[in-house]
Amino acid sequence: MSSLFGTLSIALSGLSVSQQEMESTSNNVANANTPGYTREVAETVPGDPIEIGALSVGTGVVLEKIESLRDPMLQIQINQATQQNSSLNSSLTQLQQIQTQFASSSSGIGADISNFFNSLQQLSPDPSSLTLRQAVLTAASNLATDFNSASESLQAQRDSIDQNVVQSVAQVNSLTSQIASVEQQISNIRSIDQNPGTLVDQQNSLIQQLSGLVDVQVIPTDQGITLATSNGTTLVSGTQSYALTTEAGNDGVQHILDGQKDITSSLTGGSLAGLIQIRDQEIPSIGTSLDQLAGGLATSLNAANAEGTDLNGHVGDNIFAAPPANDVGAAGTMTVTMTDPSLLAASSDGSVGSNGNLANLSAVADRALANGQTPIDAYATLVGQIGGDTSNTSADADSSGMILQQLNDQNGSVSGVSLNEEAANLIQYQTAYQAAARVVSTVNALLTDTINLGLGAAVS
Amino acid sequence: MRVNPNSMPDLLAALNQTELEQQQASLQLSTGKSVNAPSDNPTAAALLVENNDEATFTSGSLQSLSAVQGQLSTADSTLSSVTTSLQQAISLGIEGANGTESAADQAAIVVQLQGIQSQLISLANTTYQGNYLFSGTATGTAPYAANAGDPSGVTYSGNSDTNQIAVGNGYQVTVNVPGSQLFSASGNSVFLAVNSLIIALQTNTGIPTAVNALNSASSYLSAQRVLYGNAMSETTSETTYLSTAKLQISQQQNTLGGADMAAAATNLSQSETDTQAALAAMGKMSQDNLFNYL
Repeated sequence: MSSLFGTLSIALSGLSVSQQEMESTSNNVANANTPGYTREVAETVPGDPIEIGALSVGTGVVLEKIESLRDPMLQIQINQATQQNSSLNSSLTQLQQIQTQFASSSSGIGADISNFFNSLQQLSPDPSSLTLRQAVLTAASNLATDFNSASESLQAQRDSIDQNVVQSVAQVNSLTSQIASVEQQISNIRSIDQNPGTLVDQQNSLIQQLSGLVDVQVIPTDQGITLATSNGTTLVSGTQSYALTTEAGNDGVQHILDGQKDITSSLTGGSLAGLIQIRDQEIPSIGTSLDQLAGGLATSLNAANAEGTDLNGHVGDNIFAAPPANDVGAAGTMTVTMTDPSLLAASSDGSVGSNGNLANLSAVADRALANGQTPIDAYATLVGQIGGDTSNTSADADSSGMILQQLNDQNGSVSGVSLNEEAANLIQYQTAYQAAARVVSTVNALLTDTINLGLGAAVS
Repeated sequence: MRVNPNSMPDLLAALNQTELEQQQASLQLSTGKSVNAPSDNPTAAALLVENNDEATFTSGSLQSLSAVQGQLSTADSTLSSVTTSLQQAISLGIEGANGTESAADQAAIVVQLQGIQSQLISLANTTYQGNYLFSGTATGTAPYAANAGDPSGVTYSGNSDTNQIAVGNGYQVTVNVPGSQLFSASGNSVFLAVNSLIIALQTNTGIPTAVNALNSASSYLSAQRVLYGNAMSETTSETTYLSTAKLQISQQQNTLGGADMAAAATNLSQSETDTQAALAAMGKMSQDNLFNYL
């Protein structure tokens, strides 16, 4: 036998569940623009029925849980795509800065090389002219200056990347410690069997930020999450975070240490990997090419000058300071040491009017100096290489950006708050609430009727 | 299927893209170049370095050719004057050789010949831009000085070296003929011939022989002068060749790195339209949702 009070209690469960559903809708709407927020849905189940004789009677509705809708696989893919994209983007920014120095074909080192050999050609019809000789020394000095400044700006860029690396490591440490402290809160909530919903959102958002810096992998364990880089360095284990440190190495740049272990070159994703790739690979490689070219030119031109005699009939002296051993740092230290134009050894027979040795000096333009190439070819190859690296990185960054965008879209389709959907839900919950309220008022009327049964004066 | 309710990031990315295209198109229009950074076209950027080198080399060759041409034509016209003077000397010799002249006339001829002799020395000491043209590579030293003690009446202080100028790829022009080859060549020395004629007239012996010797020395000099003529015609044809090459190099530069202005202008207006469309889409979106109708 069912009772009116039973009906009232069912209506009450409807009221209360509708209210909670409206609460989660309201929370979704409020967080519609919160980054990393995952929409929540209230999951309801029918109350356990009670058996009355042969009848099974429902007991209303029960709110089972409020669930955040997220796809963990997608989250992992987003983290990986973020790591790749950040790495490429940070490389690209640096490469674009590098290539500005090699952008012009009518100025810079390439044009300086052409102009230097041209100045020798201009001297050739009138080898004793001091004006034309001075023009050769000026062209040599322009060449040296541009080698110096290219080398200096590469070094300056390397220094600024170095500072950036230190700052990024500090950011990594701050993020890992936040992730660990959120993990502590999550485990507290889980221990009392509650939904840590927004805390997980917060943690995921922090992990995604961390993915922008390093290649981090999330390994779920019984003790909570573990974060490790792909080389196996643990950054967070459960509620404990491990800080990375930086230390200046013998090579003049900051190294990243996990305890005593140097992990600098084993980072494969995130902006740190991109920065380190430029700092430790790209810039040194360009620097070496410039050094070989500068050193090769200085050595060969000095040697060619020594084959002839100057205006005083003496064997030609060095035009450039002798480059350092193995040309290491030759571009940065290239200097014209010859100050007196009459010392240029144009003559091959000791006479002032002979231009015979200018042919030896000019021949350096056609000699294989760096990487088996003539000076201008070596420089052109370098420009092509820098341009190619930049353009490839740019294309890769574009495509990884698109992948990331698609993944974010996909994630949004699962977890994003749709205001239309929330409005529709709200109507539904509101209607359900109103209906439940109507049931309550109907039961109330029925109860009144029941109380007033057989009485003359009505109780209202 | 549920779609991503937040399409703003996609639209922002699209807007970024169209703005980037707009920037690239307007950069091309303002610089007139399609390669503004090596990454725009790495191969073309490398080739442009080579192209600039060739352009510098070609312009430089043209410039040095023009300097050489000045030197060559000065030398050639000097030799033309030398030839004229030698013709005069030969006429005077023939006059003195016919045996009808009085002693006074003979003496007058000798004086005229001595004038020609010093004129020849001065012509042989011609300079171009401060450099002696006929002293070999010892261009700082006057090649000839009068020396009565020498059978030729002069001393040669130059050397026998020549200078070559490289113009164009692997092409060389010899730009000078030393005095030792032109004026005082062994067996064909014009100075010796002129001085011998003077002595012959003074002693009145062997005048016809001396005239013949002068004649042959003069012919030899004319033959040597052809070297200058050849060098001049070589430099002229090389100049023509290099001017054509220069034009081709500049055309090549334009092909490699010049912007297609029409395409850039079209791209610019296209990207402007795209930007407006993206902006309009962003303005319209998210303003309307179901809540507005409740």
